[in-house]
Amino acid sequence: MMPNYVDISVHAFPEGADTPKRLNLVARSLGFTAIGLTAHSPYWSEFSDSNAISGIEIVAHSVRDLRKKIAFFSDTVAVISVHGGDEQINRAACTDDRVDLLMHPERGKRGGLNQVTAKIAEKNGVALGLSFGYFWKTGQVARSRMLAFQHQNVVLCQKFGVPIVITSDAYSHFDLRAPRQLKALARLLPLEDTEATAALSSVPRNIIKRSAQKEEERA
Amino acid sequence: MKPLRPTLRDSFRYVAFTLNSEEPVRARDLQAEIFDAAKSLFGDVGVSKLGIKFVMFDGTKGLVRCRYQHVSELQATLASIGKIENNRVGVTVVGTSGTIKAAIEKYLQIDEKIRRIISSYVTVPVSGKAVRMRGKEIDIIPEDREIVDRADVRFIGITIDDNERLI
Repeated sequence: MMPNYVDISVHAFPEGADTPKRLNLVARSLGFTAIGLTAHSPYWSEFSDSNAISGIEIVAHSVRDLRKKIAFFSDTVAVISVHGGDEQINRAACTDDRVDLLMHPERGKRGGLNQVTAKIAEKNGVALGLSFGYFWKTGQVARSRMLAFQHQNVVLCQKFGVPIVITSDAYSHFDLRAPRQLKALARLLPLEDTEATAALSSVPRNIIKRSAQKEEERA
Repeated sequence: MKPLRPTLRDSFRYVAFTLNSEEPVRARDLQAEIFDAAKSLFGDVGVSKLGIKFVMFDGTKGLVRCRYQHVSELQATLASIGKIENNRVGVTVVGTSGTIKAAIEKYLQIDEKIRRIISSYVTVPVSGKAVRMRGKEIDIIPEDREIVDRADVRFIGITIDDNERLI
């Protein structure tokens, strides 16, 4: 049986160039069963679409700002991800159990994760978000650098049991890739086929399930 | 020269793909881009092991050959193609097969939706000119270029359901 693939982090109109419906149409033809719309927080606006999962990618300039935004969005959206990169932001995101995903922590000066943050992330159920968009968006030098950092983070997460999620981080339907292609890219990192399949299906599904449970508890 | 015996020949797989692009792409440009992408991802030594051969391309779908152990690497190569001559593209792998005939019969019998040129001014969800339509998909050239520049594309993509007036 085909697993239910989910691309949990795409950026729709007005941040990206395609409306949620267009992205959904293309994603379904590629073999995904659902997409998660995680606009960066400056572009976030409430929408209602039964076919897509509502989410947010919080961009914060300080730890205090991050906590404030997490508190604001945790009641409104299903998937809370944090725009990683800065080491302090990465660490603060890992310590908050309301956060579901830490996106691309490797965008800073170093890998962005270490054994301490990986352990905290595992404890709080924060998943590592691997964004593969750089494979087709950046030049060779930046790409090999990102690949090296992601490699390091994947090894850390495997060691400490942090869940891993693979996304295309798409800004338009040209950025979407079929699950089997994302899995082929994941094999360039030390991810086995089964791990890559989980990172595209069961792990994002668990995140959605967890947020639904939280919502029930609140209601 | 005597041909190699079948048992001594390499075994190959044929990877069928479809291409989605902003403007039409020539087969020659796509071929060059596939070799470039493979070289930038795996280097000269890596490419020599993959055994890539560009078999065919008709404008929207095509076939590439590789050694049977390296299908995953070829899929990664095709996934890493984002642009051909300043023209955004997306290559999607549809399937893998052992012979050209089987690959075409199994994966490339796709009913192509014809792209129609339209011309109509729209304001929802963005003000601009709707220029083309394929199936349910509509592309708009917006007046404000901020969003398309951010996403590095030329068109705002919507569907018929987003703007019912266009039907």
